[in-house]
Amino acid sequence: MSDRDTFLPKFAALALIGAGLVFWARSVLDPYALSIVMFVGINVILAVSLNISNGFTGLFSLGHPAFMTIGGYMTAILVMPAARKGLMLPDLPAFLAGQEWSFLPALLAGGSLSALVAVIVGFPVLRLRGHYLAVATLGLIFIVQSLAVNLDGVTRGALGLSGLPSLTTTWWVYGFVLLTLFVCWRLKHSSLGRTMLAIRENELAAACLGVRVARTRVFAFALGAFFAGIAGGLWVHVVTLISPDSFSFGLAFQLVVMVVVGGTGSITGASIVAAVLTLATEFLKPVEESLNLYGASQIAIAVGVILILIYRPAGLFGTAEPQPLNLIKRLGSRHTSPANSPE
Amino acid sequence: MLDLEDVHINRGGTHAVRGVSLTVGRGEIVSLIGANGAGKTTTLAAISGLLRPRKGKILFRPQENAPAIDLTTMKAEQIVAAGISHCPEARQIFGNLSVTENLKIGAYLRNDADGVARDLADIHARFPILHERGSVPGDKLSGGEQMMLAIGRALMSRPKLILFDEPSLGLAPILVEQIFEILETIRRDGVTVLLVEQNASMALEFSDRAYVIEAGEITLAGTGKELASNSDVQRAYLGAA
Amino acid sequence: MTLPYLIDQLVNGLILGSMYALVAIGFSMIYGIVRLINFAHGDILTIGAFAGLAAFASADLPFPVVILIVLVAGAVVGMVIERTTFRPMRGSPQVTGFIASLAVSIILENLAIMILSAQPRTFRIPAYLNALVDFGPVSIRVIDLMIVVLAIVLVIALTSFVRFTKVGIAMRATAENYDVARLMGININRMIMLAFAIGSALAAVAGLMWGSKYGQISPLMGVLPGLKAFVAAVIGGVGSISGAVLGGYILGLAEVLFVGLLPPALSGYRNAFVFGALILVLLVLPNGLLGRNTETRA
Repeated sequence: MSDRDTFLPKFAALALIGAGLVFWARSVLDPYALSIVMFVGINVILAVSLNISNGFTGLFSLGHPAFMTIGGYMTAILVMPAARKGLMLPDLPAFLAGQEWSFLPALLAGGSLSALVAVIVGFPVLRLRGHYLAVATLGLIFIVQSLAVNLDGVTRGALGLSGLPSLTTTWWVYGFVLLTLFVCWRLKHSSLGRTMLAIRENELAAACLGVRVARTRVFAFALGAFFAGIAGGLWVHVVTLISPDSFSFGLAFQLVVMVVVGGTGSITGASIVAAVLTLATEFLKPVEESLNLYGASQIAIAVGVILILIYRPAGLFGTAEPQPLNLIKRLGSRHTSPANSPE
Repeated sequence: MLDLEDVHINRGGTHAVRGVSLTVGRGEIVSLIGANGAGKTTTLAAISGLLRPRKGKILFRPQENAPAIDLTTMKAEQIVAAGISHCPEARQIFGNLSVTENLKIGAYLRNDADGVARDLADIHARFPILHERGSVPGDKLSGGEQMMLAIGRALMSRPKLILFDEPSLGLAPILVEQIFEILETIRRDGVTVLLVEQNASMALEFSDRAYVIEAGEITLAGTGKELASNSDVQRAYLGAA
Repeated sequence: MTLPYLIDQLVNGLILGSMYALVAIGFSMIYGIVRLINFAHGDILTIGAFAGLAAFASADLPFPVVILIVLVAGAVVGMVIERTTFRPMRGSPQVTGFIASLAVSIILENLAIMILSAQPRTFRIPAYLNALVDFGPVSIRVIDLMIVVLAIVLVIALTSFVRFTKVGIAMRATAENYDVARLMGININRMIMLAFAIGSALAAVAGLMWGSKYGQISPLMGVLPGLKAFVAAVIGGVGSISGAVLGGYILGLAEVLFVGLLPPALSGYRNAFVFGALILVLLVLPNGLLGRNTETRA
């Protein structure tokens, strides 16, 4: 049986199980715990979508926070009641001032604007290679931040937009997690996904085979940016606040870590590591506080990353999508598996 | 002076050299001939410490009566210090360094400034072009000039043994002849030569002894003349019918 | 706009450019020898600033001694980072080292916050460094002159070292080809460590200058100057020391003049301007002003 035949029923079954878990979580967890659950989901969206460019296509982008900022502001402005806009953002252009959208279209609009920016930026910038691209996309974060600070008519400058409605619920997050996973999984196993992998492995050879490299790269970048924009919109309506430095370089690092540690190209890997890392950070916070060692968890994570880069440079999962059962077996036989031995 | 005993080397995941044993006597020119990918360059890389053999011994006796040292556990820079110089495949001169800097870096481990200056003058006398073009970046030289520079650079460490990897590669036939004559003069100055070549006819003509390597194993050994008249060698490497 | 104002701006640009140049040199040297964009390089600037603060505060040390302490502190940290993090992953894809350098940066910043707290501190310098020297219509602080002179001295010293000494030639040979460098008897690990030591020492001095010039330092102060110095290195051509110096001064002057001469409404876009320039240079002049083509080299 091919992947394709079993995918939909499997996905539907897992989605149902997940929905059951969300239902259960909503009935037993307190709001604080639920917010952690939401961050887990949002980080899964971010890591998996970053994997489209960084993992599948081999574009090393650090730009996700820039797209989250764009999507976050866009969504926040669109859903904000017109009356509040008059108070908070008196200089808002007329075509935005009157808008009062509901959450879903606003999220999609935020994602689309991010994707649009990604397309515009992508055509020139994606010609860069390796860490030059990384630094250019890092520059993008600072440029977007700088715009957010200075376009105060739209963004209220460095103050940011506060008192946003807490529209994001676990269901919204779960829905978009499913959408992201679905799209990425289908993409990875489609001919377009194989094209992306081909570009990652050997761009010149891919071009010789007739792959339109530039277009595919921009598409991968823009699709990642779309989900980043949505994740930004979800995020700011959990914390009910967005400011120019809400999403910054530190976050870019965490996301890259999720992708790299999970295995560049592995959707399962990125999801698991995103979830584990988010939970670990949350649980380490009180430990840090009680020991009065703020930053210790960040240091621990960074040290872990370095060790993984030295001893398991392909990440924990490589490009593979381990089945949960195989995974347990693999972890059990860590020392005998040939895939584990470093070069 | 140099003895390889049952040397096995892995390169890029393949078992490239499988049990090579060979001997180079003091003052000899010995060549190792074979096809592309037979393991010649890999063998040289192991002698000069760029690769570590996974099995076997590489023994080097810098002085006649000195004890032999095992090169397999030594670092490349220690091997240079022990008196082995390696003139790599495709010349590999430093393109960003000037010609004179290339020569000076060949004497990197030496601390006798006077001796280095004298050797530099010697090399300039041997290859006047390297003097004329002393301040030119290495990558601006022609192929033949680069070969001379590579030889000069290898001599600057005052080696007792020089390893040459395909010195004839990519050069015009007239230059090839000239390069081999230079090898002959190097030997006359008391430096032993181990040579790796695909150009078997030229190598056999100038060598005292030679080894044939195929798929990582030595298949034939003998004097240069013996091998040149061996019918298998003629068929496989000398283009005879 | 008055002439003294313009001169003031030019001097400020030169000072900023001096600091960018010193940090950019390290980026370039390290990239040149290991093909690594060392993201943690900006944090060395922070370490240099705090080492300078400690040296000034703990005893009445003369300025040259403080400079020496800062140089050594930077060099030691640079060597430790190279040995513990980058050497074990040598030979991995470029991006691996880059991510590792991000991780190192996170570690250094959080350690700094942990040990020093996130609060900015005042960077006090002795009174004689704060004295003003008159030059006709403008007067300039002694420290500001020192910064520019020190940067020039260091650049000349480094250039002579790399160009004329045996070790300098060996470093350039290593940057070009590890294996052949080893065949010359060069210990490439030592050369790579030396490049990290020199580059980091210069960045640390830039941190000392930064504190002296702007009077305030904090654990995250190095991030933005570090990034901008990288931009400077790219403008000049990554891998080229003279390119890094040139790029540093161009960026320093351009940034100060951008803020000083354009209408105030635009000055908030200072960082956008710098990174916009980066992207533009990468696209138009991928090898920078003085760089060789490094991307196609193995």
